[in-house]
Amino acid sequence: MEREVSDSDFRLFVKTVRQYSKYDFSDYSDKSLKRMVGKVIADKKTDINRLVRDISNYSDYLESIINKVTVNTTELFRDPSVWKFLRKKVLPGLKTWSTINIWHAGCSTGQEVYSMLILLNEAGLFDRARVIATDINSEVLKVARSGKYRYRFNKGYLENFDLVVGRSRDKSTGAANVPYSRYLDVDEERDIISIKPFLLEKPVFKKHDLVAGEVSYPGKFDLIICRNVVIYFNHSLQNRIFEMFCNNLHPGGILVIGSHETIASPVSDRFIRTGHAYKKPGIF
Amino acid sequence: MYKAIIIGGSAGSFQVVARILNALNSDFPVPVLLILHRLKHVRSGFVEALSIKSSIPVREPDDKDYIRPGFAWLAPSNYHLFVELGNRFALSTEPQVNHSRPSIDLSFFSAAKAYRQDLAGIILSGANRDGAGGLKMVGDMGGTTIVQDPNECQVPVMPLESMKITKVQHVYNTEQIIRFFKKIQGNAQI
Repeated sequence: MEREVSDSDFRLFVKTVRQYSKYDFSDYSDKSLKRMVGKVIADKKTDINRLVRDISNYSDYLESIINKVTVNTTELFRDPSVWKFLRKKVLPGLKTWSTINIWHAGCSTGQEVYSMLILLNEAGLFDRARVIATDINSEVLKVARSGKYRYRFNKGYLENFDLVVGRSRDKSTGAANVPYSRYLDVDEERDIISIKPFLLEKPVFKKHDLVAGEVSYPGKFDLIICRNVVIYFNHSLQNRIFEMFCNNLHPGGILVIGSHETIASPVSDRFIRTGHAYKKPGIF
Repeated sequence: MYKAIIIGGSAGSFQVVARILNALNSDFPVPVLLILHRLKHVRSGFVEALSIKSSIPVREPDDKDYIRPGFAWLAPSNYHLFVELGNRFALSTEPQVNHSRPSIDLSFFSAAKAYRQDLAGIILSGANRDGAGGLKMVGDMGGTTIVQDPNECQVPVMPLESMKITKVQHVYNTEQIIRFFKKIQGNAQI
């Protein structure tokens, strides 16, 4: 049950990973990662010495371990109140822009990427959006690209959809509700929720380690969504990442973080906060 | 002197927590950590409902907030809550543990390691096994272990599971738990 590794074993793991790969976990918040490393050791019925020996000898094994220790969960419209806020208060402000450049940093299995695309489509902004979605974990990116999720375990997705989108008047048909079937196919028998192909085609999913810095992209972003990702980093790394986000936003661009995350001073001085959105001040 | 008190509860624990928080003085000297199972989307009302009864402010911590006294820190729903180095909270969205997020066990483990003998862990009414391993860890690290008297619990499974796997130091009813808090308050004033 309690599988956290000791401090010294954990340091050995971090040091070995840093030595034999481009990944640096030194500034991760230790609690979760210690547990995940402990879990890997238990699942693989190995011990820390064999683990570090094997990751230093086989780079694809190292990669598979990275994929195991960096898995985190996400949902379609996780925190409906945040998505309602984005829909009502943030998206209307993007309507004057000809292109909307969006970066989902740490997108995991992609549910929030599709949540945003649904909102953009409802707002009539879908065609103008250019979306890049990144994660350190190549396995979660495969799931994200497929846009297929378990149904029975995730019935909450449909409730969330209703709270954020479904209960509003359908602008295209005039009907009282927006049906989820516009965006999702539900196959109860096979236990699958699938994202519709027109949504799948939009985002470019790409492997990228936030700790390593900026993502390569032609130009800056209008919207950066990074929710429940930096909670895995220590305080100083969080500050560095938020600063990097600020530098990668256009003036007037917006950063959206998790509902229990905060940007600390002095980096917070570079943003104007409204609800869950941090805006980089515009030129005027 | 305790550095923190951590309480785990599930079904049937809300009223007990409310009574405890109501009985505290507003200058209660130790941070109180509340790890309570609750419905994922019933989010807004819960803090308010507890706050009305509580003598100290009830807060859901943000990630990396300092763990300060003077507050009851309620684990946000749909996150795990850890005590980190440097006396800060850390949140995570790792998968559920024992079908729970927040997991009482995970929070108790991290608090037990951070505070060792300076921690009191309390398991209240609840219908599952979450928290039993956590309370054991609190005891193993030298902290004080308390369960709500199963005879008084609406749902006694959580205290009973705890008592099964570890020798719990105190089996208290709500009144006795309140007296435990009052004693901490009194000791701080001497």
